Amino acid sequence: MNGLSMRGMEKSFGAVRVLDGVDFDVRPGEVHALLGMNGAGKSTLMNILAGAIPPDAGTITIDGTIYTFSSPREAKQAGIGLVVQEVDTALFPGLPIYENVAADEFVHVKQRPIRSLRQEKERAAALLRRVGLSLPPTKLVRDCSLHEKQLIVLAKVLSSNARYIILDEPTAALSEAETRRLFAIIDELKQQGVGFIYISHKLKEVQEIADRLTILRDGRVVYHGGARSLPLEDIVLHMTGTKRTAAAKQARTYRSDIAFAARGMLIDKTGTTVDLYAHRGEIVGIAGLVGAGKTELAESLIAHRNTSGEWEIDGRRYVFSSPYEAIDAGLCLIPEERRKQGLFLPESVKTNLTVRLLSRLSRWQWISWAKEAAEADGLVRSLGVHPPSSTTVVRHLSGGNQQKVVIGKWLNTNARVFLFDEPTKGIDVHAKQEVFSIIRSLADEGKTVLYFSSEFQELLDICDTIYVMVDGRLLARLPAAELTYEQLVYYCSGGEIDEPAGRFRAAVEKSGAVHS
Amino acid sequence: MSQPAVSAPPSKKAAPFILEFLYKHGTLLAILAVIAYFGLTQDRFFTYENFSDILRSISIVTLVAIGITFSLIVDGFDLSVGSTVSLATIASAAALVLYRQEIFVTLLVPLLLGIAVGLLNSLLIVKFKLPDLLATLATMYAINGVQLTYTKGFSIYNDMPLPDGGTAPGKFIPSFLFIGQGELFGVPFSVLLMLFVVIAAHLFLTYTKPGRLFYLTGENREAARLSGIPVNRYRTYAYVISGFFAALGGIVLASRIGTGQVSAGASLLMDSVAAAYIGFSVFGAGKPNVIGTLFGSILMGVLLNGLTMMNVPYYAQDIIKGAILVGALALSHWQKK
Repeated sequence: MNGLSMRGMEKSFGAVRVLDGVDFDVRPGEVHALLGMNGAGKSTLMNILAGAIPPDAGTITIDGTIYTFSSPREAKQAGIGLVVQEVDTALFPGLPIYENVAADEFVHVKQRPIRSLRQEKERAAALLRRVGLSLPPTKLVRDCSLHEKQLIVLAKVLSSNARYIILDEPTAALSEAETRRLFAIIDELKQQGVGFIYISHKLKEVQEIADRLTILRDGRVVYHGGARSLPLEDIVLHMTGTKRTAAAKQARTYRSDIAFAARGMLIDKTGTTVDLYAHRGEIVGIAGLVGAGKTELAESLIAHRNTSGEWEIDGRRYVFSSPYEAIDAGLCLIPEERRKQGLFLPESVKTNLTVRLLSRLSRWQWISWAKEAAEADGLVRSLGVHPPSSTTVVRHLSGGNQQKVVIGKWLNTNARVFLFDEPTKGIDVHAKQEVFSIIRSLADEGKTVLYFSSEFQELLDICDTIYVMVDGRLLARLPAAELTYEQLVYYCSGGEIDEPAGRFRAAVEKSGAVHS
Repeated sequence: MSQPAVSAPPSKKAAPFILEFLYKHGTLLAILAVIAYFGLTQDRFFTYENFSDILRSISIVTLVAIGITFSLIVDGFDLSVGSTVSLATIASAAALVLYRQEIFVTLLVPLLLGIAVGLLNSLLIVKFKLPDLLATLATMYAINGVQLTYTKGFSIYNDMPLPDGGTAPGKFIPSFLFIGQGELFGVPFSVLLMLFVVIAAHLFLTYTKPGRLFYLTGENREAARLSGIPVNRYRTYAYVISGFFAALGGIVLASRIGTGQVSAGASLLMDSVAAAYIGFSVFGAGKPNVIGTLFGSILMGVLLNGLTMMNVPYYAQDIIKGAILVGALALSHWQKK
């Protein structure tokens, strides 16, 4: 049989069953999209196919031969190619393109000691033509754009005669025009008989490029079939599963005056500008997929990144050029990379908590250790840090307790606008609830909260208002109470927002009718 | 799915008690062992003159090493201190001998030059974002070249002949020589100066707000920046302080030897870097600290004094210095793991 097929794939990590009998196949010359929410099992399935992890059960057949891969190298030899999302990790920036394209052969093939540079360059040039790149093969990879680098990785994959190529979020960092070009090249390679496995959260693009779809949910295949026949709304429903009942949410109220606004805020990565505002006491979510530019926006708002634009806090206008100024004016950021950006790991809980309070705790620059300890102990108690001691070294705390310390250092300061970037990342359910209650009480005190996250359910649970962020732009500002989980996933995956509730509601009812 | 990031408790059990003890108190034990060894084998070691000599040389190394400690605290490095010492030595000698200046200008000029070198370093490192090692390597060479060019390679001393045929108008005045040669209550003045600086710097770094912010800047620059600490300002201060203390060391050196010798500070770089790194481990601090630096330079000073007494030539001493620095680095690296 011609084609690649995976049958009955199973994989568990500890007690967690990640893949539960998944069937998946790709024919030569088609694009088969693999969809699912985070944790659905996509990565695990692809890691098995690429030889990075062994399955517990199941068979992989490629063009009639059954394979058991014990290393990525064997998968490569069997004709599997992988274009990773972070293309920079697959390239040597200081080497020219042709050496990058041939790099795998240096490593794996015992060659004659003397290489023919001319042959190598000609071969690279031919491969570059195949992927539609007209660059001199001697150009250094670090001088290439992201889009070019991606195509170089594709050329590299083709050079090892891959017949089935996994594309992991290939358009995550591409512009509209570059996406078009990539699709044209995929079409071209399809004609030559290459099969693609296409992983993406951008559902609009998936509909456009894919021939068939497989949707995974909780380690099982929940949909399998043609791509064009299935409406976007139904894809989202398959991905998210049973319609979730909105958690009973206390109605929060907030003031009507605008406490924080940013105008023309530049996001350097995407080159886009953003306008946003928040009322006093409002919890405003910024919802977007990974890579939508949320962290970049948060770090621009605190002036940690190069940016331009105008800030307004409590009616006063500012232009900040460093976090020092922004923090002085009442902003603060709880960063995504807690250990790298938020904590002084070798220091005690006390030192971490009082970093912003030293002026108040010292006289003539001399820190009063008694006052400092009292202040820190008070914060440790009110935050519920465990162990309840301010002398613990923060390196030894759990993720959730570390997060409380990162938040805690701002509680007794003049900070009025709190930016939380993925604050629940890597912390357990209990700690998550504690972080939420801290955020709610901050807002109840009249502080303004901006909550950046790709955890859509959490956004709906905690926020009053949600901005939808796609590719570095804020597309809509919607009241959280009127949003459903499916809608939010739909919008953030590139769905149209023209009629916020109506269209999707209709779709929900329609597919509900089909199921019943 | 992300799992709760519960970090493992410190693996104290993995490191046997004896290793832990050696790490914390190894430097002190080494100092005692070295003193005992030289005391037993060298007759002249336990004499007042010799101890006073050791302390005088330690005082210079310590001053320079405290500057390096500041640059290490902000996670930087300053290779140019040796050249700054030379520059300050020449500057104070020139002020006295060639320009007949009194004590005030003689002290002010080298200190200002030291601060200027620090500002230059921070311009390169903080503003132009050059790697600290390379930037200060460059200033180290350039500054050394400056003092050699100014003196045309000749030392500056009392009654030196001038190119125009006369002799130099000024001389090393007693008030200046007191810094490196004088004594108060039977203790060399330079040692008192060193103790004062050590105590002041220790109190500053341990008990004051700016001291705390120096450490936080070095421990995690990004977190410090996001906590609203003006990290670039503190890094600049650190290099300026480093330049200042190197210049102070240069003044004491000029006063001690009573001449302005060219490139007199070159050998101080290695001694003070080793002292600062040995200081990481003293009392198990695990980070740069002034008290540790003092003990580090005591170890270096005693060792070099004893080796000189044993007639180990100065070039062979360099082998031992290098070995000690490697040992100190290995120890501080081991502690981090």
